[in-house]
Amino acid sequence: MDMIELFHVMLLSFLIVCALAVAHLRDLLSAVIVFAAYSLIMAIVWQQLNAPDIAMTEAAMGAGITTLLFMVTISKTRRREQ
Amino acid sequence: MKKAVALVLMLLLGACLLSALSGIPQAEYRLLHGEAPARIVQHGMDDTGAVNLVTGVLFDYRSFDTLGESTVIFTAVAGIMMLFLPGQVPLAGKGLSSMAKRSVDLLLPFVLIVGLYVISHGHISPGGGFQGGTIWATLTILMCIVYGTQFESQFIEYDAKKTLESAAAVALLLVGAVALFAGYPFLSNLAAGFPGGTPGQLVSAGHIPWLNAAVGMKVAAGLSLIFFSMVKKKSGEG
Repeated sequence: MDMIELFHVMLLSFLIVCALAVAHLRDLLSAVIVFAAYSLIMAIVWQQLNAPDIAMTEAAMGAGITTLLFMVTISKTRRREQ
Repeated sequence: MKKAVALVLMLLLGACLLSALSGIPQAEYRLLHGEAPARIVQHGMDDTGAVNLVTGVLFDYRSFDTLGESTVIFTAVAGIMMLFLPGQVPLAGKGLSSMAKRSVDLLLPFVLIVGLYVISHGHISPGGGFQGGTIWATLTILMCIVYGTQFESQFIEYDAKKTLESAAAVALLLVGAVALFAGYPFLSNLAAGFPGGTPGQLVSAGHIPWLNAAVGMKVAAGLSLIFFSMVKKKSGEG
């Protein structure tokens, strides 16, 4: 396994860990932060798949705007899942 | 019981996806099969004048779909503004510390220029109206958080954003309608006589830069409106 394959395996396993963590976390604010990390890694994966346009959208939308909108929603509702 | 059912369903779904994955020809999937991809790769630059073929597809071959996407954003913004009732005043936040404010002051022009670059070079390098518009929207949201909503609402008025979003939507339709007056289908590009220029130059690719600018304005104003509607509060509330 060369370096770039190792890098891809690392990225993808981190994606899976992030996805599972988002589903399991009871604290919604932490879940949103982990979700932002997920989007950021996904952006790198898109770039590795030769799709820089999608990577830029993912980084700006997924990691930026979505996180902010979720945070506003949490501040208007509850922080803990019931 | 519930968990067991969910597990079985997930395993079934996984099996379906895996069997679909095995249907993709692994060895040659990079070669792009079918008539349309081959046509786009071979003649895309001559057809659209755009070096970035993704933008070429989005704003030339499939520009009508892009119009639909902008309509989706328009509807989402309208829905959210209806949901968070009008007549509420901006929440008077004091903002963050002066250190954060100065840092944002330094950052602001650069983020503005990155957004402008991404929008204006959409037909040359990766990026375009959606991406650049999102970067601009983050800028207003950053101002909103760091300086407080009161300052932000004075800096860029709420009504101005609403006007800007609608104006961008109208601009998008007008650029499309220019082709109609020339006697060609709605939103057609080089065929309708938009100057193609030299591919790779900043001013080239017919109406693609214009559409990018309109979409960028629309996305920036729309996303910033969504955020701003959500942080509003009734005047009485604490």
